[in-house]
Amino acid sequence: MHYKIVNKQSFAGRFKRINIHCPDIATKLQPGQFIKVSLWQGASVSLIVAEIDSLRGVLTVIAQDADPLAQQLGNLPINYVLHAVLGPLGVPVRIEKKGMVVCIATGIGIGRILPIVRALKQVGNKVIGIIGARTKTELLLEVQMRIACNKIIVATEDGSSECRGLATDAFKRIIGEESIQSVFAIGSVDMMEEVSLLTKEKNIDTQVMVDVSMIDCVGLCGACRVRVRNRNVLACIEGPAFNGHQVDFTDLRIRMNAFKERDRWGNLKSSFNPRENALEILTKYPLDIKKN
Amino acid sequence: MQSLSLGHKCQCPLGIDILAFLRFLSENRVVQALAKIHEHNPLPAICGRICTAPCETAGVRDQENAFLSIRALERYAADFGKPRFAIKKTVARTGKKVAIIGSGPAGLSAAADLAQGGYRVTVFEALDHPGGILHYGIPAFRLPPKILDEAIQEIKLLGVEIKTSCYAGKTFALTDLFIQGFEAILLATGAGIPQLQDIDGANLGGVYYGEELLMRVNLAGRVGPVSRDRQSSLFFQDNNFQLGNRVVVLGSSFMALDCARAAVRLDKQVTWVSPQPSDDKKNLPEEIAYAEKEGVCIEALARPLAIMGNDQHCVRAIQCVRLDYADEHAQGEWELIPVPDSGFTIEADSVIIAMGQEPNSLIRRDTPQLKINKNGTIWINPGNSMTSLAGVFACGSVVIHASPLVEAIALGKKAAIDIEKYFNNSRAH
Repeated sequence: MHYKIVNKQSFAGRFKRINIHCPDIATKLQPGQFIKVSLWQGASVSLIVAEIDSLRGVLTVIAQDADPLAQQLGNLPINYVLHAVLGPLGVPVRIEKKGMVVCIATGIGIGRILPIVRALKQVGNKVIGIIGARTKTELLLEVQMRIACNKIIVATEDGSSECRGLATDAFKRIIGEESIQSVFAIGSVDMMEEVSLLTKEKNIDTQVMVDVSMIDCVGLCGACRVRVRNRNVLACIEGPAFNGHQVDFTDLRIRMNAFKERDRWGNLKSSFNPRENALEILTKYPLDIKKN
Repeated sequence: MQSLSLGHKCQCPLGIDILAFLRFLSENRVVQALAKIHEHNPLPAICGRICTAPCETAGVRDQENAFLSIRALERYAADFGKPRFAIKKTVARTGKKVAIIGSGPAGLSAAADLAQGGYRVTVFEALDHPGGILHYGIPAFRLPPKILDEAIQEIKLLGVEIKTSCYAGKTFALTDLFIQGFEAILLATGAGIPQLQDIDGANLGGVYYGEELLMRVNLAGRVGPVSRDRQSSLFFQDNNFQLGNRVVVLGSSFMALDCARAAVRLDKQVTWVSPQPSDDKKNLPEEIAYAEKEGVCIEALARPLAIMGNDQHCVRAIQCVRLDYADEHAQGEWELIPVPDSGFTIEADSVIIAMGQEPNSLIRRDTPQLKINKNGTIWINPGNSMTSLAGVFACGSVVIHASPLVEAIALGKKAAIDIEKYFNNSRAH
């Protein structure tokens, strides 16, 4: 099977929308699932799926430049044949007819929530979308969300589009006005925690989607472990969508931020050199990977 | 060579005639010696390097009454006994198709046996390179990727088709395989999921599981001689993987030892905290001696109590307690229990946890009809290796909890025999 990049588009400054032709996966993929793309052997990255076109067999994924491998994927030309695409991965979210559903997303989470919104509306729900970003230019997929949702609220921190403030402020207003049956929240940990606390008071079914780093995406590495219902689970197998009232957000914040705050010493060259201390390396390491 | 003496019965789980193999080697007939091993073992070069060598405990002694290292001899035979020309064997094709899920040791050995029996075998692998744990979980200094690729190539030459990046249960359901014309399915998905530990602070920054370290090191290194921009960035600094200068490895498994030795090769100061004594029979003493010589500081007979973090939620130190053998209830059962007031702390920047694996849960999640044992392994009928679904077999570590390499190969061979029997029986009816 040849997995080809059929189109790509740069948008919102640091994101690229990439269309990948993979008919066998596109026909199986359901909202909430993700795929893993291998650029070449050994270099794979997990990507969120924003649009599913099962008729043409094309998936639209969003690559953000913050991730070095996703950036390399974004730099690949159209018609480039990828080494492999693995999917669909993860557990799909439950799509049921509930009545009034609020879908709240910030940042790259808007890309993750778009297929969920479309599926929810298709089964007959009334969907209120709340999307948030720092400024208007950083809003992803605003047009698509406007078409998909019955009602949409755009919240920007600097007020450059519609209402000023955080997405959670808009949610607080909505939760007082309407009777909500179900909530989907995807985005930053702070937002998801606040939404889960608000809905717990009113006992509204809430699903959140965690965004932890993954390597192999089939549960072998254990990097994506999160604490749900006082139990460690792997997000790539049992997630990435979880019940928001059961996720331990303090632990999730540690898991997600721990890596970033380690720049103090990073992968600095160690002062300890076993070769200097007259210790021998008995078998030679054949490949020089320390250069990185 | 008559003076070769066998302590007691030689216990190779594969049933290799070790004495005959040694006799061929002593007569300098390396090709025949390798052929002897090849009768029962399709992966001699790999076993010669990383096998747990249960045969060596049986104690074959030479004239000077010294123990023979059979594993090293097997490696020699596999490296130098290759026939100059590959002889293509023609086997009568049965025309029946068999699907094998997972290309680890069990899956590969079953595939080789079934292909030799004339079946059309297709192996499905979820990762982008065949080999399973041999590919991502064994560091290159123990099993060079070239050796693995050669072994896989040899199996491919038997007529086995290997499909990578095919995720059984997700990309296709098991029932789809029957529709595609496969008449038997063998599950060899192995035990690759790390056992998530409930030690305090196991989710702090800088705590990794052994699989993650080995996977990053292996996959980053195996890209090959390509330009830097084409290199895997799994090991890049900005890709969420920072290994501190002081690394502590927890666990007594092979993987813990591999992690410690891999970290030494990344110029880290490594301490290995093992709950087992350092002369433990589970690990090969020579491997431990290598690790010690390479500069791994070994803290044997100690158990981690808690991982302590700093104000930024990263690892600062690890608290351990010493263990000792004691007969607590005075019933003759000597157990390892913590010694009172023996707690100590080791300063650390990174902690690698390698405390065992669990069977893969992916296939049983996507196929709820499969019967599962209490410990997470797939239930099989011990008589014919068949699971609760007709025509679906299972072998390897997904059946027996954490079996070493040779046992996995032996189970794969047993499953191959059982599948042949299943076909013969169904033809008779």
